[in-house]
Amino acid sequence: MEYLTFKLDGDEFAVDVLKSREIVDLRSVTKVPQSPEFMLGVINLRGSVVPVIDLRLKFGMAKAETTQATSIVVMDVLVGGETIIVGTLVDSVEEVIELDESQIEPSPRIGTRLNTEFIKGMGKQGEQFLIILDIDRVFSSDELLIVQNAADPAASE
Amino acid sequence: MMDQYAETFREETIELLSELEVGLLELEQRPDDADVIGRVFRALHTVKGSAGMIGFDAISDFTHEVETVFELVRSGSVAVSAELVNLTLAARDMIKSLMDAEFGGQPIDPEAAEQIVAALRSLVPDTKEIAPPVEAGIEATEPEVVEETTYHIRFRPPANIFHRGIRPLALLQELARLGSCRIIAETDAVPDLDELDPELCYLYWDIILATVHDEDKIRDVFIFVEDDCDLKIFAINDDLLDAGGGELRLGDILIQHGDLTHEQLAQVMSSQSKPKLGESLVQAGVVSGAQLDVALEVQAQVKRQQQKRQAIDEASSIRVRSEKLDSLVNLVGELVTVQARLSQTADGQDSPVLSEIAEEVERLTWEMRDHILNIRMLPIGTTFSRYQRLVRDLSRELGKEVQLVTAGAETELDKTVIERLGDPLVHLIRNSIDHGLESPEERQAAGKNPKGTIFLSATHSGANVILEIRDDGGGINREAIRERARTQGLLTSEMETNDTELINLIFTPGFSTVGEVSSVSGRGVGMDVVKKAIDSLRGSINVSSKSGEGTTFTVKLPLTLAIIDGLLVQVAEEIFVLPLSAVEECIELSREDVASANNKNLIRVRGEIVPYLRLRERFDLDGELPDIEQVVVAEAQGQRVGFAVDHVIGEHQTVIKALGTMYKDVKGLSGATILGDGTVALILDLPPLVQEAELDERELTDSIQEKMISFQ
Amino acid sequence: MSKKIMAVDDSATIRQVLNFTLQGAGFQVSEAEDGQDALEKLANDPPDMLITDLNMPRMDGIQLIKEVRKQPWGKFIPILMLTTESQEAKKLEGKAAGASAWLVKPFKPEQLLAIINVVLL
Repeated sequence: MEYLTFKLDGDEFAVDVLKSREIVDLRSVTKVPQSPEFMLGVINLRGSVVPVIDLRLKFGMAKAETTQATSIVVMDVLVGGETIIVGTLVDSVEEVIELDESQIEPSPRIGTRLNTEFIKGMGKQGEQFLIILDIDRVFSSDELLIVQNAADPAASE
Repeated sequence: MMDQYAETFREETIELLSELEVGLLELEQRPDDADVIGRVFRALHTVKGSAGMIGFDAISDFTHEVETVFELVRSGSVAVSAELVNLTLAARDMIKSLMDAEFGGQPIDPEAAEQIVAALRSLVPDTKEIAPPVEAGIEATEPEVVEETTYHIRFRPPANIFHRGIRPLALLQELARLGSCRIIAETDAVPDLDELDPELCYLYWDIILATVHDEDKIRDVFIFVEDDCDLKIFAINDDLLDAGGGELRLGDILIQHGDLTHEQLAQVMSSQSKPKLGESLVQAGVVSGAQLDVALEVQAQVKRQQQKRQAIDEASSIRVRSEKLDSLVNLVGELVTVQARLSQTADGQDSPVLSEIAEEVERLTWEMRDHILNIRMLPIGTTFSRYQRLVRDLSRELGKEVQLVTAGAETELDKTVIERLGDPLVHLIRNSIDHGLESPEERQAAGKNPKGTIFLSATHSGANVILEIRDDGGGINREAIRERARTQGLLTSEMETNDTELINLIFTPGFSTVGEVSSVSGRGVGMDVVKKAIDSLRGSINVSSKSGEGTTFTVKLPLTLAIIDGLLVQVAEEIFVLPLSAVEECIELSREDVASANNKNLIRVRGEIVPYLRLRERFDLDGELPDIEQVVVAEAQGQRVGFAVDHVIGEHQTVIKALGTMYKDVKGLSGATILGDGTVALILDLPPLVQEAELDERELTDSIQEKMISFQ
Repeated sequence: MSKKIMAVDDSATIRQVLNFTLQGAGFQVSEAEDGQDALEKLANDPPDMLITDLNMPRMDGIQLIKEVRKQPWGKFIPILMLTTESQEAKKLEGKAAGASAWLVKPFKPEQLLAIINVVLL
C-alpha cells in the first residue's frame, strides 16, 4: 500500500495515499466563529469551500509558527457515512512511500501521545517509525485526541 | 382609513369656512380686489381637495361646483355681484351642513345643494362642462389574458432627464416587472471623457419584452417622460417573424429604429453586393457600423426570446437525475467564482487584450449560469392541480362550498423551491377554507355568492416570482387579533398600530387566533410556520385583508436559491455577508450614541428603539472597536434587530456554498461564498444569532437577579 | 437606507394623509405648509424626494420646484407634483420647472406609493 507521509512536531505520520486528493500551499483561511480551536476555518479550493483543521491542535500538540514548508493536505474522508473533502495543516509534506504488511506493526499501548484508536499501526522504514493514521476516525471524533488530560476540557466542544 | 383623518379635516375645514366667510364679506365691500378673490378661491380649493382625499365625496363634489364658478370670477368671466356673494355664503353654510352630516348630524337633502349649484351656474355667461377627472398613476391589475406578446421597445430619454429627478434605471426596472425582458444599453452616443457632461444622459436602450400586458401598460411606465423622450414600441407579431423565417429580419429592425427607410432597404437589396445584408447596407452608406451592431444585437435577443417560447411550446424534454443537475450547478458556481477572480485580476493589469477576454468570459459565464439555473426550473402548474383535489375534499369536510381558480400555471420556479412551497401553500389554502370563507348560508345572507372562491396565481416579476393566494371570504378579524395580541403581551392599549402592522402580527411565532383545534388546521401550526418556510426560501410573505371582502396573501420568492443578493460587511479582519432581502437600513453608531444608551445595546432609528448585537462579540473576534461602527438594521425573527459591524462594504451578488457537515452545528451561519479576490466570506443566518443573543440576555438578567436576591 | 420625503401642502388634512401613508411605507417624512416654509426647512435638511401641491400661499409649488432645482442638493432629486384635474397647463409648467412626475388629487394611497416606487425606487 502506498502512503503519503508528513511531519507534525517532529513526528512522522502516514495516510493512505488514495485518500489524499492534493497538496496545496498555505493560503488565507477564513475562521468560522464558535468552532473549536483546532478547526482553523475554511479555504477556497478552486471555487469550493473546504474546511481545514490543524492536526497539531487536534493531537494536543502546541500550535506552531507556519514556515515555508507548511502545507495543507486535502483529503477525502469518510464521516458519518458520507465522504467529505477536508484539509489538514501539516508542518511539511514528505513523500509517497510504499509499505508492505511486513513493515507494519500494531500500534503500541504506550509511548505515543495519541489515543491509539486513531492509529492503524506503526510503520517501519529502516530506522524510522511512522504513525499510520486512521484518518476517517480522526475526523469523525469531535474530541481532542490525546490520552493525557493535559488539555483544557473546555476546549473540546 | 378615513377615521384617523376626519378630525384634522374637521378642524381645518372649520377654519377654512370661517376664512371663506370673512373673505366673502370683504368681497362685498371690495368686489374688485383680486387678492380677496384669490383667498376665497383658495379656501374653496383647499376644502375640495382635502374632502376628496379622504372620501367625503358629497362635500368635495359640491365644493367643486362652487370653486368652478369662482375660477371664472378669478379669470374675469364672471363679475362679483351681491347675488354671487349671497349664493356663495349660502354655499358656505351648505358645506358646513354637509360636513356636520358626515359627523353624525342631520343628513342633507341633495335638492337643497343642487339648487345652490344651479343658481350659481346661472350667473355664468355660458356654463362650461366640467371635464372628467384624469387619473394619473399606475394601477395594479391582474392580467386577464395569459398569452404573451413580444415587444421591441426603443427608449431614448432626453439628455437632461437627470435634471428632472428621473432615473432611467428606475423606469427600466419598472418595465422589467411587466414580464421577462432583455435590455441592451446602447452606448454609441456616449462622447469621449473630455467632452462628457456627467449631468447629461447619453445612453438609450433597446428592450425586448415578453409580456402579457398590452402596449398601453408599457407606455404607462414612461408616462412622465413620454412627451420629451423618444419612445418606440413595436409588437413583434408572428407575421413579422414568419417573413424572416422565424426571426426578426435585420432590415425590419433597422427600419423600426428609424435608421433606415423602406426605399433605402429595397434599393440596397436589389443591388446587394455582399452576401450579408448588414454589410451591404453599411457599404452603401445608408447605415453606420454602430447602428448595424445594435440591430444585430436586437435580432439576437429576439431570437433567444423566441427560442425560449418555442421550447415551452414544444415541451420536448428529457429526464435528468437531480444529482447530475446539482453537480452541473456546482461546476457553474465554481466557474462564476473563478471568472470573478479573472475579472478582478484583469482590472489590475494594464492589458486591454486581457480585459477584453475577461469581459467576454464574464458574459459567457453569466449566460451559462442563467441557462443552467433555468434547467432546474419547472412550471408550478402540477402543484396547482394537486390543490384542486385538496380544495374539494376540504370544502366537503368543512361544509363550505369552494372553488379553486388558478392562473399562471406555466410560471416556472426552481424545483427545490416548488417542493418546499408545497406545505406552506397547503396550509394557507386550508386556512382560507377553514377560517376565511364563510358558510354558504352566511355568504348568502351577506349578499355574496354562496360558493366561495380561492384564487391562486403565479407570475414572474423581474428576478422574482409572485404568488397570490386570495379568498373572497370575510377577511381577517381585527378584533380577534387585537385581543390575542393583548393576551400575549405583544400589544398594549397605549400602543398605536396601523392596520398593516396589526394583521401582520399573525406571523409572530406562537400567535394563533384559533381557540379550538380543528382536525383540518391542526394544533399549533400557525402562520409563523408558513413564514418560516417562506423565509428559508429567502422569500417574503405579506397579507392584506378587507373586512367582509376577503384576504390576500402575497408571497414573493427569488428565482433561484443558489445565488444570494448579499450585503458585505467587515468585522475585525473578517468579511461576512448578510442577506440583502432582510436588510432595511444602515445607521452609524458613535461612542456617544453608545454612552447615551447607558451602554445597553439599543439604538434609535427614525424615532424607534432598536436592539442590536455586536458581531464582534458574538463571534469572539479580536481587535479594538472602531470609534464609529455601523449598525445594519435587519428584519429577523419578526422584529427589527441591528447588527453592529466595523464597515459596510457594499452589495454583492454571490454564489452560495455549503459549509459542509463539519460545521453543521455552528449556529448563525447559512453558508459561505467566495469573493472576487478568492477569499471565503461567511454568510450569516440572522434568526439563530438573534435567538442566541436573546437567550444570553435572559441568562444574564437571571443571574443578576439571582445575585441580587442572594445579596439581600 | 430609509429615505426622507418632504411633503408640502397647505391643507393639514392632505399633509396628514401623506404623512401616514409614507411613514407606513417606511419613509421618513417632514412637512411644510407652503413653498417658503419648505425652503426654510430644506436648507438644513435636504430630503431624498419632494412632494408638493401646486396651489399654496406665499410661494406656490411651481416656484418651489424652480428654487429647489437651483440648489446643489436639489438638482437631481425626484419631485412629485400634486395637481387637480383641471390643471393641465400647470402640469406643463411644472414639468418645465423640473418636476419628475405628477399625481392628480384626489388619489388613493396605493397610487402614491406606486408612483414613488417608479420615481424613487
